[in-house]
Amino acid sequence: MGAAWLLRRLLASVAIIFAVVTFVFILIHVAPGRPCPETVERAVCEELKRQFGLDRPLPEQYWRYLVALAHGNMGNSYANGRPVRAAIAGTIPFTLQLAGAALVLDFLLGLGLGIYQAVRVNRIPDVVLGNVTLFIYSLPTFWLALLLLLAFGEKLRWFPVGGASDPVLCPVVHSLFCVADRLWHTVLPAATLGLVGAAGTARFQRAAMLEVARQDYVRTARAKGLPERRVVLRHQLRNALLSFVTRFGLAFPFLLTGAVLIETIFAWPGMGRLAFDAILLRDYPVVTGTALIASVVVVAGNLLADILVGLADPRLRVRAPTDVEVVTA
Amino acid sequence: MLSAMQRRSFPSLTVFLILVVAGLAACERRGGCTGENCGTIIDAAVAEPGTLLPPSSEDIVANDIDEQLFLKLADVGMSENTLGDEDFQPLLAQKWEWDGPLTLVFHLDPRARWQDGQPVTAADVEFTFNAYNDSVVASPFRPKLHRIASVTQRDSLTAVFRFRERYPEMFYDAVYHMRILPAHKLRPVPRDQWRTAPFGREPVGDGPYRFVRWQPAQSIELVADSTFFLGRPGIRRLIWRFTPNLQVAVQQAIADEADVREQLVTPENVERARAAKQLAIYTYRGNVYTFLSFNQRAPDDTTKPHPIFADREVRRALAMAVDRASMVKSALGDLAKVPPGPMSALLWIWDPDIRQLPYDTAQANRILNARGWRDHDGDGVRDKDGQPLAFHMLFPTTSVLRRQYALLLQEQFRAIGVRAEVDAVEGAVVNQRVATGKFDTAILSRSNDPSPSSGIAQSWTRAGFGGSNFGRYDNPAFERLVDRAVTTTRRDQARALWRAAMETLNADAPGIFLYALDNVAAVHKRVDNVQLRPDSWAAVLRTWRIPPDRLIDRDRVER
Repeated sequence: MGAAWLLRRLLASVAIIFAVVTFVFILIHVAPGRPCPETVERAVCEELKRQFGLDRPLPEQYWRYLVALAHGNMGNSYANGRPVRAAIAGTIPFTLQLAGAALVLDFLLGLGLGIYQAVRVNRIPDVVLGNVTLFIYSLPTFWLALLLLLAFGEKLRWFPVGGASDPVLCPVVHSLFCVADRLWHTVLPAATLGLVGAAGTARFQRAAMLEVARQDYVRTARAKGLPERRVVLRHQLRNALLSFVTRFGLAFPFLLTGAVLIETIFAWPGMGRLAFDAILLRDYPVVTGTALIASVVVVAGNLLADILVGLADPRLRVRAPTDVEVVTA
Repeated sequence: MLSAMQRRSFPSLTVFLILVVAGLAACERRGGCTGENCGTIIDAAVAEPGTLLPPSSEDIVANDIDEQLFLKLADVGMSENTLGDEDFQPLLAQKWEWDGPLTLVFHLDPRARWQDGQPVTAADVEFTFNAYNDSVVASPFRPKLHRIASVTQRDSLTAVFRFRERYPEMFYDAVYHMRILPAHKLRPVPRDQWRTAPFGREPVGDGPYRFVRWQPAQSIELVADSTFFLGRPGIRRLIWRFTPNLQVAVQQAIADEADVREQLVTPENVERARAAKQLAIYTYRGNVYTFLSFNQRAPDDTTKPHPIFADREVRRALAMAVDRASMVKSALGDLAKVPPGPMSALLWIWDPDIRQLPYDTAQANRILNARGWRDHDGDGVRDKDGQPLAFHMLFPTTSVLRRQYALLLQEQFRAIGVRAEVDAVEGAVVNQRVATGKFDTAILSRSNDPSPSSGIAQSWTRAGFGGSNFGRYDNPAFERLVDRAVTTTRRDQARALWRAAMETLNADAPGIFLYALDNVAAVHKRVDNVQLRPDSWAAVLRTWRIPPDRLIDRDRVER
């Protein structure tokens, strides 16, 4: 891994993002449906389409979009006239908040469970947790969301059933109370996303820990008489974390796609709901804009994961001469 | 807020968070409003408006909010009578008079003010009419104003409407479709930019409430104008909280996170809302009807007749094969009625005695046999000249009710040897396909405004070709009856003519009129004087109130 590798990856990333934007632009424009409500007469709809520039040939629309994009202009929403950049910018803090909370829950819980199962492999806790995590991992995210909503929102009323904050007290975050209120509203949606993720992470981590446990250096550490805690945390876990870093990169697409459903179910004002509504309304600029941002996030997440793996694993970091044996830990 | 939280049970895993919230809440300034005119109402809305600029806002939620921000000259009363002017309530217009058969003169209330302090003038009224009529603005209300020739100002407080012809709903057309706009704010904005104008997201109105803030994808907040010239509103603060769909909206009302859900729609939702202790249930007339539309033109070439539905007798047979009363009973219980034609219960022409085709499967079978549609190959589906009697039913995936109905219809058609395929597609695709005639049949919903004239003419006469007459129904006899009904000044004569028109249409069976929903609203029990006008539930929201002894924490909160 070096500057040339990074440059190659960056160029590839730009190409991927360009391809995604092109694909989404063409797909949404050729998809059936019109960007006007049912109640709008055809003549009115035609006038609107003229104002939106949709009466021009598709290649021209695409070229105009690219030129505008190159100037940092993502267009205006057909549905509400807002600049797409502003609309997306308004949703990103909410999606980051939700995804961040879900990611923390996913990794902390998943990592903890994976390690716990690995050190008690094939014992009752491992078997029970293995089945529980498999069950949760198999659940459709939307179904778990509805279950949590019904139980903890509607019936028990422990948590709010929707929205990102109290609309009476916290129209804007202006005090610590409102910060806490926003966290309060995050619990159910983040738990939904995080629990499913944690179940997957736990299974992944358990397998990685057991793989590492068979390595010579772990056996050597035990033979040296090191305490078990130190063997597990210092030798076993540290090496098993490499696969965890890879999973970190894979978590971004999961969180973004999951957020579309979860944000819709929990009326969360994030980018997923913005994209979902835009698709239903055939709000082309918003659909393309959200796809652009999502692809940037996913590509950047994977690039970051690759860099982290490279930094953490000397085998990938060091370009070894062919005639020299690489000594690993 | 603190006590609201105290009412909740505390799960052990979140004790820490709760304590933090509770601690911080204790530091928050407690609300002090305790008398009359306090109160906050949160509406759980199923969509977010695109803009609040009235000519460009065609969605229902925008209309509900605009009711509070922008006044009309006058408005229909609770009777929903649209004939003449006697049942209309003055709003911006203090009074009006007829100056000859085609001229209507409005005298504006001199107390009316825009919320930036400017007076509301006749120049605003003239500007508003011109804006609504400008094709560049692309207002969906424009077609409803075509019989008004001009609006001018006689002096600063007198606006003069001149009509092209005389008809009974002249006054209704003059006042119902337009909300008066502030010319001084909008004149500088190019009309082709109105949909994106900042004014639409931060409006300055003249109504009982002022705009406070719009949090995208979250809420819109309005606050009462205590100096409103028609009287101070009873509720101090209104909040529309946006949810992505009906189920989430209903859930918010049930969980006491919203005070109003104006339409519950399904029997299941009504039952859930009834079970919520804090909610009261209100039933009022619905303004929507749902029908199976038969496309009388070929989907692949709209210049040619449809191979099945161009035949009036086949349409009649299909209509007779459907037991609409049983379907309503099984799918909707008491929440809906079988419409006696293309109308919702809102319209004053609703009459259950209007003659309709009977449910008679034996007759339906006889008609189909007589038209040559028989099961020649014994596969259970009728055919003629090698073509099976089969078609597609289009409806949006988002409508649970319409899906249910599609399956029921499919089964009833199957019983007479007709194969109906179910096509559930996205709403945007349904819109496109029906607008371009690319469908066999579609389960569609139509909302009525209080007048039968404009809606029925647009959806069921030649005037609606290229508009909302998607099935291209065309019967000159029906159109003559509608024309006479629209121009008749006496209500009893108009009712008789409408009845005749509806019976003509029903006999032609351009569609099967399936159900007309009653509206059922859930409103928090602490709210008093709840009045829901059927065409617009929020039209008289300013008269709602919360008695001081029923205020809860969110009512008392001060900014």
